[in-house]
Amino acid sequence: MMTPASFISMLALAAGSPPMGPFGMPEQASTIAAEIDFVYQVITWVCIFFFVLIVFLIVVFVIKYSKPPGTKAEGTATHNTPLEVAWTVIPLILVIGIFYVGMKGYINMRNAPLGAYEINVIARQWSWQFNYPNGATISELKVPRGRDIKLIMSSQDVLHSLFIPSFRVKQDVVPGRLVTLWFNATHEGEYDLYCAEYCGQQHSTMLTKVLVLEEDEFARQIEEDRVFMDMLPPDRLYVAGPRLYARCKSCHSLDGSTMTGPTWKGLWEKTVSGETVFTDGTTLKDLIGEGKMFMNPEDYIMQSIANPQQKIVMNFTGAMPTFQGMLSPLEVMALTDFMKNLDKFDEKGVPKDPEDELQRVIDKAKEAEESSN
Amino acid sequence: MSIYGDSTKASSGTNYLTHTRGFLSWALTLDHKRIGVMYLVSVLTAFFFAGMAAMALRLELIAPGEWFLSQDNYNQMFTVHGALMVFLVLIPAVPAAMGNFVLPIMLGAKDVAFPRLNLFSYWLWVTGALFFVLALLTGGLDTGWTFYTPYSIEGDDHMSGAMGGVIPALTGAFVLGFSSIFTGLNFIVTIHRLRPPGMTWFRMPLFLWAIYATAIIQVMATPILGITLALLIVERAFGIGIFNPALGGDPVLYQHFFWFYSHPAVYIMILPGMGIISELISVHSHKHIFGYRFIAFSSVAIAIFGFLVWGHHMFTSGQSPLMNIMFSAITFSVSIPSAIKVFNWLATLYKGSISLNTPMLYALSFLFIFTIGGLTGLHLGTLATDIHLHDTYFVVAHFHYVMMGSAMIAMFGGLHHWWPKITGRMYNETLGRIACGLVFFGFNATFFTQFILGSKGMPRRYADYSAELMGAENFEIFHFWHFWSTIGSFVMALGFFLMLGYLVHSMFKGRQAPDNPWGGGSLEWQCSSPPPHDNFSEPPTVGDCYDYSMLEWDEKIQGYHRREEAATSGE
Repeated sequence: MMTPASFISMLALAAGSPPMGPFGMPEQASTIAAEIDFVYQVITWVCIFFFVLIVFLIVVFVIKYSKPPGTKAEGTATHNTPLEVAWTVIPLILVIGIFYVGMKGYINMRNAPLGAYEINVIARQWSWQFNYPNGATISELKVPRGRDIKLIMSSQDVLHSLFIPSFRVKQDVVPGRLVTLWFNATHEGEYDLYCAEYCGQQHSTMLTKVLVLEEDEFARQIEEDRVFMDMLPPDRLYVAGPRLYARCKSCHSLDGSTMTGPTWKGLWEKTVSGETVFTDGTTLKDLIGEGKMFMNPEDYIMQSIANPQQKIVMNFTGAMPTFQGMLSPLEVMALTDFMKNLDKFDEKGVPKDPEDELQRVIDKAKEAEESSN
Repeated sequence: MSIYGDSTKASSGTNYLTHTRGFLSWALTLDHKRIGVMYLVSVLTAFFFAGMAAMALRLELIAPGEWFLSQDNYNQMFTVHGALMVFLVLIPAVPAAMGNFVLPIMLGAKDVAFPRLNLFSYWLWVTGALFFVLALLTGGLDTGWTFYTPYSIEGDDHMSGAMGGVIPALTGAFVLGFSSIFTGLNFIVTIHRLRPPGMTWFRMPLFLWAIYATAIIQVMATPILGITLALLIVERAFGIGIFNPALGGDPVLYQHFFWFYSHPAVYIMILPGMGIISELISVHSHKHIFGYRFIAFSSVAIAIFGFLVWGHHMFTSGQSPLMNIMFSAITFSVSIPSAIKVFNWLATLYKGSISLNTPMLYALSFLFIFTIGGLTGLHLGTLATDIHLHDTYFVVAHFHYVMMGSAMIAMFGGLHHWWPKITGRMYNETLGRIACGLVFFGFNATFFTQFILGSKGMPRRYADYSAELMGAENFEIFHFWHFWSTIGSFVMALGFFLMLGYLVHSMFKGRQAPDNPWGGGSLEWQCSSPPPHDNFSEPPTVGDCYDYSMLEWDEKIQGYHRREEAATSGE
C-alpha cells in the first residue's frame, strides 16, 4: 500500500531533493533527521493541545466571569485533592513518555556505527578545516552520500560548535578535547554548516558548506583536492589562490575594504615598498634584508602566516591564529603568488581569464599526463 | 470580631514618602519601602539601558549586512544586554524591588529583620552597577553574559574583540551576587522571625512563599557564582590554569560551575513572578486562590529540583551521554510543579468575578506567555530535539518567553497592582490597558517568530546573515522572520514608553488612590495608600488573606472597604 506521504517522499527522492521537516524544521537530509522530526512533531502536538486547552479556558472564563467591580464571585471549593492529583499525574506520565522517545533518538544519533568513514576536523577562529584520510585538506566538508561519516574534531583556540541543520546534528568543539559526531547523508546537494557556539568577533561568518556527492564523484574530488598543488604549472601557482583564500576570506578582503585583517588589495606593493607600519612603531622596510627579521618580502608574508603575532600591522589587533603546519610551503608560495597577481582576479577572487581557472589547469595537466602514458 | 482588625491608616498624618525629606533621608534610609522604591527606580533604569541595547540588536538584524552595527559592536551589545538584564534587572527586579516594598507589609511586620543589611545590599547593587559602567569605559567586553572560557580568558593580544572590561564586569557580577545573597538572607530571617501572631506558614500570601523559596536559592546558589567568577578573575589576571586547556584547565568544568548557579538563578527570576501572579489572579477574580497548598509546595519543589538540572544547558558541550540522559530525565521533573501552578490559576478564574484591570491583563498575558514558554521547554529538555535546537534562536525565544514574557510581565503586573500603594496615586486605566496590549502583541511578534528561526537552524549570537554566507533559500527565510521580529520589538518598546509616560504622569496628576482599589485581602491593603512610615502601629490581626467575602465596592472612593457590620454581626 502506498500512503500519500510515502508517495510524496518517493517523488522527492526521484527529484533528488530531501523532504522538508514538519513545523518549520529544515529539509531532512540525513538518516536520523526523520526520527528527530518525529519526536519534534509529537512534542509540538502535545504543546498545541495544552496551549489550546489553556487559552480556550482562559478566554471562556474571562468572557463568562467578567463582572463589574463589587460583584461577589460565585465561588468554588478552595481545593480539590483528586483534581490536583490528576493534573499532577497526567502531565507526569506524558513527560516520562516524551523523555523516553527523546532519549532513544539521542542514543541513535550519538553512537557512531562501526566502520564509519573518518574525517578530522579542526576549528579555529574563524574557519573550518577538514582533513581526509588520503591527506587532502579542504575548508568545505565533502562527504559521500549514503555512507556513515564520523567527524573527529578539536579546536585550536576557543569553543566552537559544528552544526548542520539539515542533518540535525550539533557538537561543541572543545579545545583540549577530541569530540566526535556522526551522520549519514541521504541526498546529494549543498547544505549549510554553521558555527553555533559564540567564538568572538567573526562568529557569524564562521560558516561553510557541506557537499554531499555520489561515491565516485566524491572519490574523484577528494583525490584531486589532495594532488591539485602538484598539478600546477610552477609559473602559475596563483591559480590555486582563490581556493586557498577561502580560509582567509572572513578576515581579509580583496576589494580594499577593511575587515578584521588588512585587505590584500595592494598588500604586495606595500610589502615590496616596505611602507607597512606596525603597532610597535617599526616600519617594514627597516626589517627586510640580510640579517634582519625578514629575508625578503616573500619571507615576511610566510612568517606572517606562520606566526601572525610577531608583527601586527598598525590599526589592527592580532586576531589571527597561527597557520603553522596547516599550509604546506608550496601552498604559502601559491598564496604569495596570488597576492602578486591579484590584478588577474576580480574582487571576489574569480579569475578574469578563463585560462586561469584552477579546474581547467588541472584538467589540462591530467590530459597531458594521460597522453604521455 | 473581624478577622481583619482595624485599619491603621488613621494612626499618623504622614506617610513613608513624606515622613522625612532630603536626599540623605532616602540614601541612608532603613525603611524597607524606601529601599524598595530605590531598587525599583534603579532596576527600571537598568532595564531601560539593557532594553535600548536590545533595540539596537533588533535594528541591526532587520536587514542583512553590517548596516547599523559592526560585528564588534553587535557582540558587545548582546553582552551588555544579557549581563545587564540578568544581573542588574531580572535577579533583583521582583525580590529586591517588589519584595522589599511588599513583603514586610504583607507579613504584618514593621520592616525586614535586618534593615541596615537591606540598605547595604542596595548600595552593593549600586556598586555592582558601577563596575559594569567601568567595564564599558575600560574597553567593553564581548564574551556574552555567560563569560564562557577560554574565550573570556585569552588576552587582548590574541583577540580582536573588546576584552578590557572582562575583569570589571566579573567583579561587578561578583558584588551583585552578595547583594542578592544578603537580600535573600534578610527575607528568610524576616519570614521566620517577624510574623505577627496569627500569621502561620499557611496563612502567608503565596507571594511570600514564592519569595521564601527564591531566597533559599539566592542564599544557597549564589556563592557558587561568586567562587566561579573569582576563579575566572584569578585565571585571567595571573594565568593560573583552571579552565583554560592551554594551561591544563578544562573549559567544560567552567560550564558546570556556571550553570550550577545560573540554572537555579532562572528560578530566582521566575518564582517571585509566579508569586505575584498568584496574588493578581485571586485578587482580580475576587475569589479564593484554588489549591493554596499545592501552589505553595510547588514553589518549594521548583526551588529544590532547580538545583539538579543544570546539565541541560550542556547537552552538546561534550559531557558524557549518560549525564545528558540523567539531566534530561530530572529536567522534566521541574515541568510538573509549573503545570500544577497553571492549572490552579485556571481553577481560580473559574466562577470568579473577574475585573479586567491593568494588573489582571498582565496576569492573563503571563498565563498565555508562560504556557508557551513552559511548553517549548519540552522541546529543549528532550535530548533528541535539543541537539538541533541548542544555541539557535529557538532557545532565545524560549528563554525570552520565560524571562521577559513571564518574569518581567509579572513584575510589571505587580508594579501596576501595587502602584497605588507605592505612590498613593492611580494611573490612567485606559492607557494602562493599551500599553499592556502593545507589550503583549509586540512581545509575541518579537519572540514567536524566533521559534521558527530557531527550528530553521538560525544560530544565536550571529551579527549578520546574508545570501552570500548561507544559501539563498535559508537567507530568505531568516530575513523574513528577522524582519517581523524587529517590527514586533518596536511595538513592544512603544508600549513600554507609553507605560513610562502615564506612570510618571500619575505621580503628579493621578487621582488619589483609595486604600484598597482592587479589593485585595492581604495586609498591605489595610494600610493607607501610601502606607505610614512604620506600616502598622500595632500588630494587625491576621486572617485568611484570600477570603474576599467582607469586601465591598464603594463607588464614591472607587475602591473597596470592609463591611464592618458583617464583621461584628455576621457568622
